[in-house]
Amino acid sequence: MSSHAASGTVDHHHDASTATGIPNKKLLMWAFLASDCMFFGTLISTHLIYRLHPPAGNPEPRVVFDVPLTSFSTFILLMSSLMMALAVNAIQKGNLRSMRFSLLTTAFFGAIFLGCQVWEFWHFVHEKHMTITNSILGTTFFTLTGTHGLHVLIGVIWLISMYFYSFTGRVGEKQAIDVESMGLYWHFVDIVWIVIFTAVYLLEYL
Amino acid sequence: MDATVKSHFISEQPKAPAKPLVLWRPTAKTGFVSWLTTVDHKKIGFLYGMFALFFFLVGGAEALLIRLQLMVPNNTVLTAAQYSTMFTMHGTTMIFLAVMPLGAAFFNFVMPLQIGARDVAFPRLNAFSLWTFVAGAIIVNIGWFLPDGAPNAGWFGYAPLTSRNYIPQHSVDFWVMGLQLLGVASIAAALNFIVTIINMRAPGMTMMRLPVFTWMTLITSFLIILSFPAITIALVELMMDRNFHTNFFEVSNGGMPILWQHLFWVFGHPEVYILILPAMGIVSEILPTFSRKPLFGYPIVVFSGAAIGFLGFAVWSHHMFTTGMGTVATAAFALATMAIAVPTGVKIFNWIGTIWGGHLQMRTPMMFALGFIWMFMIGGFSGIMHSAAPADAQQQDSYFVVAHFHYVLIGGSIFALLAGIHYWFPLIFGRKVSEFWGKLSFWVIFVGFNITFFPMHFLGLNGMPRRTFTYDGNMGWNSGNFIATIGALILGVGIAIYFAVMIYTYFKGEKVGRDPWDGRTLEWSLPNPPPEHNYAVIPTVHARDAFWYEKHHKEEIAKENAEHSKAEDEHGGIHMPHQSIYPLVASVGILIAAYATSGMDSNPEPGIHAKLATAIIGGVIMLVGVFLWSLEGADGYHLHLDKDGKPIEDSHAHH
Amino acid sequence: MRLSSLFTTSPARTVLAHWSRATLALVGLSLLAGCDYRFWKMDGPQSTIDVAGPVAKNQLEIFYVTCVVTFVIFILVAAVLAYATFKFRARTEAEEHAEPPPQGHGNPLIELGLIGASVLALVIIAIPTLRGIWYTHDVPAAEKENAYTVNAVGYQWWFRFEYPNEQIKDVGPLVASNELVIPAGRPVHVNLRGMDVIHSFWVPRLAGKVDMIPNRANFLWLKADQPGYFWGQCAEFCGDSHAVMRFRVIALGPKDFNDWLEQQSSGARTVAPVAAAEKATAQFASLRTDWKRNEPGYTEKYDLNPLEAWKEKQFPDKGENAALIAQGRELFKSKTCFTCHVVRGHMVGGSAAYPDLTHVGSRSTIAAGLLENNDEQLTRWLLHPNEVKPGNRMWTEGYVKNNIKLNTEEVSALVAYLHSLK
Repeated sequence: MSSHAASGTVDHHHDASTATGIPNKKLLMWAFLASDCMFFGTLISTHLIYRLHPPAGNPEPRVVFDVPLTSFSTFILLMSSLMMALAVNAIQKGNLRSMRFSLLTTAFFGAIFLGCQVWEFWHFVHEKHMTITNSILGTTFFTLTGTHGLHVLIGVIWLISMYFYSFTGRVGEKQAIDVESMGLYWHFVDIVWIVIFTAVYLLEYL
Repeated sequence: MDATVKSHFISEQPKAPAKPLVLWRPTAKTGFVSWLTTVDHKKIGFLYGMFALFFFLVGGAEALLIRLQLMVPNNTVLTAAQYSTMFTMHGTTMIFLAVMPLGAAFFNFVMPLQIGARDVAFPRLNAFSLWTFVAGAIIVNIGWFLPDGAPNAGWFGYAPLTSRNYIPQHSVDFWVMGLQLLGVASIAAALNFIVTIINMRAPGMTMMRLPVFTWMTLITSFLIILSFPAITIALVELMMDRNFHTNFFEVSNGGMPILWQHLFWVFGHPEVYILILPAMGIVSEILPTFSRKPLFGYPIVVFSGAAIGFLGFAVWSHHMFTTGMGTVATAAFALATMAIAVPTGVKIFNWIGTIWGGHLQMRTPMMFALGFIWMFMIGGFSGIMHSAAPADAQQQDSYFVVAHFHYVLIGGSIFALLAGIHYWFPLIFGRKVSEFWGKLSFWVIFVGFNITFFPMHFLGLNGMPRRTFTYDGNMGWNSGNFIATIGALILGVGIAIYFAVMIYTYFKGEKVGRDPWDGRTLEWSLPNPPPEHNYAVIPTVHARDAFWYEKHHKEEIAKENAEHSKAEDEHGGIHMPHQSIYPLVASVGILIAAYATSGMDSNPEPGIHAKLATAIIGGVIMLVGVFLWSLEGADGYHLHLDKDGKPIEDSHAHH
Repeated sequence: MRLSSLFTTSPARTVLAHWSRATLALVGLSLLAGCDYRFWKMDGPQSTIDVAGPVAKNQLEIFYVTCVVTFVIFILVAAVLAYATFKFRARTEAEEHAEPPPQGHGNPLIELGLIGASVLALVIIAIPTLRGIWYTHDVPAAEKENAYTVNAVGYQWWFRFEYPNEQIKDVGPLVASNELVIPAGRPVHVNLRGMDVIHSFWVPRLAGKVDMIPNRANFLWLKADQPGYFWGQCAEFCGDSHAVMRFRVIALGPKDFNDWLEQQSSGARTVAPVAAAEKATAQFASLRTDWKRNEPGYTEKYDLNPLEAWKEKQFPDKGENAALIAQGRELFKSKTCFTCHVVRGHMVGGSAAYPDLTHVGSRSTIAAGLLENNDEQLTRWLLHPNEVKPGNRMWTEGYVKNNIKLNTEEVSALVAYLHSLK
């Protein structure tokens, strides 16, 4: 059914082969993200519930957290979203070189974010003595931010794979939807981080 | 099996241009490899059905053992530990490995046909869902063959009983890991169905013309993608607690076991509707067909289905009325639970409205569908009794609840699924079940079911708690349990007759032609079994009950189809997806990794290195599968049909 | 293709009717098996129908409201459904193949009317439900003054009951195990705690259940209108022996209750010193020891009047053998029983995580309400704890870990000692 896309210009906002005009891959990604919302929703709820019922001996979050560093990594992640948007824009115009540059920058920013997170984890464990096993805060914090970090990691691998795949000559304007779906995922991971940053870090300073 | 294989392919598959060997695309249409690599929604649906029916029998055997143990007081058929394992596995098997996949079988087989599509939106993802489901089923059941034993902490796995402190064996780890795999499989399948229903509808098939079964598939799929994450995360938290000594449910470090219950039932209650909505969809197809008139109040049936799905997320705590939630929360959930009775009742009214004034043809599917209404009504009414929270404080975890949900899940879900098998059997296999034997199995099942579960209401009110492996003879429970066991045996005989008849019919049943029931929806416009490409011409839909309209506007439709057929031929013919081995490879990798990790804990133990290595090997196989899967691309080929509707060869076409 | 007429031919129908009759006969047979008066009356010891207190009564009344409302709706809907099925059934070949009926899609007015009626029916249920939720939640304000408080703590697989009002000097609150004695006619506020996994406190004739969840301060209230003996059972799956985690509630009049408190608050009873001539002879050689798994552990006498049986237990047994008891007391030490079980006043040791045995002889049951507390059953329990209650901690943490082996003579001495603890 989808074999005969119109030749010539590609309409990136309408796919004539589907009943709604929305490309299948885009719809799939949206539906998946709805599901992923519930995954993160469950983890964030777990964290917030235990925040309301901290057992004796739970570390004091303000003592543990390093907000300036996390603010920096948050900013980097936001910038990566900007680069992701540029990559999608580039491929929709058929500009492969520009897309590659933006993809690589996005992945690089993502890697910086991951680096910050690794450093933060190391710091919390060794300097602040909060581990995943010794307190509820450690348990919920590391599991929640770790799950998010895993999402970022998958995103970075996906970005880099797409970067290399683009040299095979099989990525062009017609495949822009593949980059766009990846972009949806990346923006989502970014937005989730904003929520986590607010609910886990900033909330402690209200 | 070969009934579906015998599709109308007579020609060799076109040869693909030279490609790296790893991107080999299997093309066999028959034989073992064709089943392992199939992306055809009908074959996948058939496989789902076969696995589900197998596990249905396994779960049934477990139930019979439970009933034998309880037949008389102080019985010793099973030990306490065996009994725990039996009811844990009975619940887990019936819910996740029998009813859900049987629903998925119908989603796969029937739904694309009903919307006039040639396949689902992502055929390979569909295959991946199937094989990952199989992997999960294997992991859940693997404990039977290992010294650690099968899962034994209840299908609900309440913390902290599931912690390593209380169950150090890996039985619980298999349960955790298996359920996570089943969750992945269900979510992947549901995403696929959502995209398929929204995007792959034939021209003119507006949302408000969708067959009700397809509507219920859509709502169920949304429930799956929104509710399964809750249990998946809960299972992850439990796994972290068991394997990495985290504190999610660790009481000594301030963990709250009540959190597990909330997360579990946020999933668990929508799950109830995941089990019952497909059943309602099936019944909403069967009743109009055999009443020979349209569904009464179609929009209201659809909206009430959606309302049930929506409200289903707001009533989870009615499973927790006895956990001391406080007055306000209890009152809120009690009222929300009563509210959900309204859309449920509306459906029953509409089904009665459907048969009112019809010409009822009392075929076997119709018998099961009517049986469904009766039994579901009883289950629904005892459900309303539970919504009255103070009364529920006496009923919770007693046999009254056991009676209630078996009326909903057997009298409801299973009856409808059995009806569905009878109903679509001619479409799937081209043969029809004998009415005599079909009706006989119905009556034996119906009677056996009621004898089993009706006395349980009385047992519950007389104070018999659930999940008890023994009871004393002085509690007034002897007769009720004895009757229930007799009933279970009758029910078992009924199911045996049902299966025997199905197997007989598959080989020797009466052959039937197209549209044996005078159906109303598009799937009946196809020859049986349907060819791999389903529709020679994608139908154009003009009304609800699209096929009924076609049958009454034959000339108009024929003209239209001829035009569309010509147009499609000019565009290169019917596009079909290639088969693929990689979904299976990915699932096998997942199976290996899951098996190895569920046998591990962080304490050094003998064999830990071997397990770690196995887990890594599994992970690598999965990654390789996923990478090659994306590299091979969603290629396909084109089919042309000759004037008899048989496919003729075409050169390979790149997607 | 039109349906062939194969399925509607009369011989098939006759056979079907024949089979239906056979099935119905089977149904009748199993109903005959249901000719058990008590089963239909539901007046067993854990009945939720035969209630004995205001909380259970309120819950029962709400249940009856739901029954009446749903029964009325059921009759109406079922009648319409049965009528429609009967009336519109195609009976003949001609009817089967008749022109399809009018293809109507429904009637919004009927739909709305039915929705309105359903909502109304639910309101009838909702009102008593809401009132009941608040009433059953805690002791009503008017009765707060008069309320008595106890704590109930669940363990795998037994119950500890604490009396915070009865503080024993240097010890703490009075503690009882598996048999909760309460004042009749007074509201009792029960604080519920779970110490390992989740349990649930359920005395059906007095009140619905509330769960005992670790790290959660739950409670319920109940009242026994008259003195009586009530069966309770854990109602949340808590491991393999969940089915045999039971308990009793004994409600006593004011004087009896005070007497009981006084007796329990004192230390363990010591039997008079051994006379020189008396010899420790094992008394129970004739008792059964070949018990099978899950065999019932109560006598008819106890079953007929358990309250009377309980009262008898408050007095010393006849024919106590002081030498045997002294020997049992020694064994209780040498077999390390005292490291877990408290016998207040006799020896130092034990912990709250194990049943307090200071007055074990005065209880009507042992092994968490499972067995009647007589010589035969206590012998059975001490000889084969793991068969009576699979996986119990006396077996896993005591017998197995400490490699404790008891022969029948030792057991009979222990039984004599334990039964002397009134």
